[in-house]
Amino acid sequence: MAEYELDCLGEACPIPLVKAEKKIEELAIGDILIVQIDHSCAMKNLPEWARKEGHNVEIEEVDDGEWEVIIEKTK
Amino acid sequence: MGSNNRENEIIMALKDNQFYKMWFKDAWPYLTGAVLLSAFQIFTLASTGSPWGVSGVLANWGAWLYEAVGGTVDKWYYFASEGAQRTLENGFLGHPGSMRNIGIILGALFATLMASQFKIKKLKSWRQVAAAVLGGLLMGYGARIGFGCNIGALFSGIASFSVSGWVYFVFLFLGAWAGSKLLVKFFM
Repeated sequence: MAEYELDCLGEACPIPLVKAEKKIEELAIGDILIVQIDHSCAMKNLPEWARKEGHNVEIEEVDDGEWEVIIEKTK
Repeated sequence: MGSNNRENEIIMALKDNQFYKMWFKDAWPYLTGAVLLSAFQIFTLASTGSPWGVSGVLANWGAWLYEAVGGTVDKWYYFASEGAQRTLENGFLGHPGSMRNIGIILGALFATLMASQFKIKKLKSWRQVAAAVLGGLLMGYGARIGFGCNIGALFSGIASFSVSGWVYFVFLFLGAWAGSKLLVKFFM
């Protein structure tokens, strides 16, 4: 159960989503991907994509205008 | 210390308040946005006599800035018409579109402060800066040469039953498709 961080701070949409899509392919099932974002529209499209793919998703607001989208790869 | 605790309690209670969450913290549903934008479009047309536009206003801002440092634009084809000259003469404060654009900027600031999501973002790389500047120039140039951006040409066009709005829509889609291909190729 490895944990990976993906630094997308300062990146605008759709770059966080494209990076997360690429990164999650490298993960094994059960691994966790933590995507750090500070672009509020990524807070909508990242979880939407991950949930549609069937992964478990949690969002944490870590600071003003800064979030971590925590994705557990399920398949 | 007692009053500090009390203040914290009030702030925590406000953060969990359902109306605070609904109006300020969480993004509004697309439908709410669509209804409000339509209402603002109707209000704009009724009160100013022209449909909503954003980027044309920025061209006027550029002209005013240029005039402020001693330039003149009255020989420029874009500003040559009588209407354009009158708008420039009326000035920034007498221009409804300028007031509206300022309102959009202040409103966005207000919204992000109310949600406590204001953040000054760091620059990731000079590549990103170059791409942003290039993208801004292309968008600005395209919006002027095409007589409108996605508000003036697309939204206002379609709302006025103009075919040009739909033509814009098709090419906007093609442009976005090509742009995302280039983005993945050169920026990932």
